[in-house]
Amino acid sequence: MVGTGTLGLRSRWGRTVLTALGIAIGIASMVAVVGISASSKADLIAQIDQLGTNLLVVQPGNNVLGEGATLPPEAPAMIRRIGPVESATSIVKLAATTRQSPYVPKEDANGIDLYAIESNLLATLEGSMASGRFLDQGTDDLPVVVLGAVAAERLGIRSVDGGRRVYIADRWFNVVGILDSLALNADIDRAALIGLDAAVTMFDVKRNASSIYLRAQPEQIESVRRVLAATANPHAPNEVSVSRPSDALEARAQVDQNLQNLLLGLGGVALLVGGIGIANVMVISVLERRGEIGVRRALGATRHHIRAQFIVESSLLALLGGILGVTLGAAVTFAYADRQGWLVEIPTIGLAGGVGAALVLGAVAGLYPAARAARLDPAEAVRPTN
Amino acid sequence: MSEATPVLQLDQVTKTYPGSPPVEALRDVTLEIAAGELVTIVGPSGSGKSTLLNIIGTLDRVTSGTIAIEGHDVARFSDRALAGMRSARIGFVFQQFHLLEGMSAMDNVATGLLYQGISRSQRRSASIAALERVGLGHRMQHRPGKLSGGERQRVAIARALVGDPAIVLADEPTGNLDTRTSREILALLEELNRDGSTIIVITHDLEIAAQLPRQIGIRDGMVEFDSSDAVTVAPLASLGTIGGRA
Repeated sequence: MVGTGTLGLRSRWGRTVLTALGIAIGIASMVAVVGISASSKADLIAQIDQLGTNLLVVQPGNNVLGEGATLPPEAPAMIRRIGPVESATSIVKLAATTRQSPYVPKEDANGIDLYAIESNLLATLEGSMASGRFLDQGTDDLPVVVLGAVAAERLGIRSVDGGRRVYIADRWFNVVGILDSLALNADIDRAALIGLDAAVTMFDVKRNASSIYLRAQPEQIESVRRVLAATANPHAPNEVSVSRPSDALEARAQVDQNLQNLLLGLGGVALLVGGIGIANVMVISVLERRGEIGVRRALGATRHHIRAQFIVESSLLALLGGILGVTLGAAVTFAYADRQGWLVEIPTIGLAGGVGAALVLGAVAGLYPAARAARLDPAEAVRPTN
Repeated sequence: MSEATPVLQLDQVTKTYPGSPPVEALRDVTLEIAAGELVTIVGPSGSGKSTLLNIIGTLDRVTSGTIAIEGHDVARFSDRALAGMRSARIGFVFQQFHLLEGMSAMDNVATGLLYQGISRSQRRSASIAALERVGLGHRMQHRPGKLSGGERQRVAIARALVGDPAIVLADEPTGNLDTRTSREILALLEELNRDGSTIIVITHDLEIAAQLPRQIGIRDGMVEFDSSDAVTVAPLASLGTIGGRA
């Protein structure tokens, strides 16, 4: 049956390949869309897994009048007392400018925030140093500063070598370290960080944290999240904002869905056009092969045999296109993901689905031509054409 | 002659094609062909001989009358049963050969058994035997495009014979061949007939008809003469006015 079905395809290779190409393009675009978006998602998820989803941020929200609220000074200590909290650290925003030198006007300061921090910030955010070292107990009260990745770039400082300094408020600070970029904490990237003790001695610091970062046991994260607001500010839990930075990344993974559906739709249109192409070619093929159909009927083929032959032929044509398309789509996905530096992930359901869809489409496209072939009057079909 | 059932029996067969006016292609055709005969049905174009071929080959149905093949009244057969009859009991040879271009001579002949539910290996061995019978044992793997006209017709004859049918119907088997090759093909048909095959050759060519043992003349949809009929011994000469092919 398959041998009989491939005869027509083998006798006209050029036509077979061109017709299959129509289906192949449709399937390839669909597989590529699914593959690229799956690869992109896999990459984001890998990123999220690496960063950890157990980081929470507590910040002051707004009070009922819509004015900025503050966190009580004892909030960090209270939060550390929650059982599943592994570590917590607070930062306090300072109202001072950070400049390359006193000769840069204050108005031209590069929008670098200044934070007073605790020395366990680095560990809690799981950050790493691009250069130098982080603040520790020993340097906490000295005029030394650590720069976030973006802040360092804006100040034109690439490394701590050679004793670089920056001018904060109205005095010089030695740069002792530069952080690597923190994917989950872009605000730290843009900041200059000094020790809390130094800040207290040099500036007029209120002890109200502007952010509290904490890591909790991953399986307890939801229950910790529920009690955080009330723990941070028992008198006004509604004035506390709690967020999870990894949520933003996860949201990004979902955003692509609409675009993906649109592209899949376009791929579907291409596939449909390919299917109609197959039906067309099969109709022509039936007209050209009247003689063959007549002979087969004379040799004892029933209408059913003839119909099956053309449906098989049409399905195989589409299957060829499907296999071609899946290969092409996988190659495109691989090349694209490789260029983006992503993990390559092509869902097997996409591959099997692509081949399956082509097969079904081919069978459906073959129905009408096959019915025409089966209806041919055998006496008419074998009649000499001269 | 024995009283065995004739291979083919037509009784007052009429075939009318609808239209305005309707075309009466066959009128009251009655004839009988016994097993082992080599018969020619001869007539000019438009005489109804093609219609008669289609009726005998069960490719077309009678309007009235009966047709029996090996005693089976095929007028009542379903499409599926007719297909079964064609695959097992009737072999066709066409003027235009109608070989399948994409496959070798051997596979073409094997196709003659495809619709009988015979295994591939059996089809192959039967095909080889049939090709050897028609003298093409050395051309089995050639595609039709690589064969001469005479060789192609031999392949077609092998395909018609391979299922050991009750009747071989040859429609203008020499129509596309030169005189010498025509003679060879006719000789082959005579040889196959001597080996026991019942063969009916449809032709417009009086010269060919004259070489075969029995002639049935058709004109205007009716049997004009039958050389086996002692009463109407119609000399072939009387057919001299019949025109050539269309």
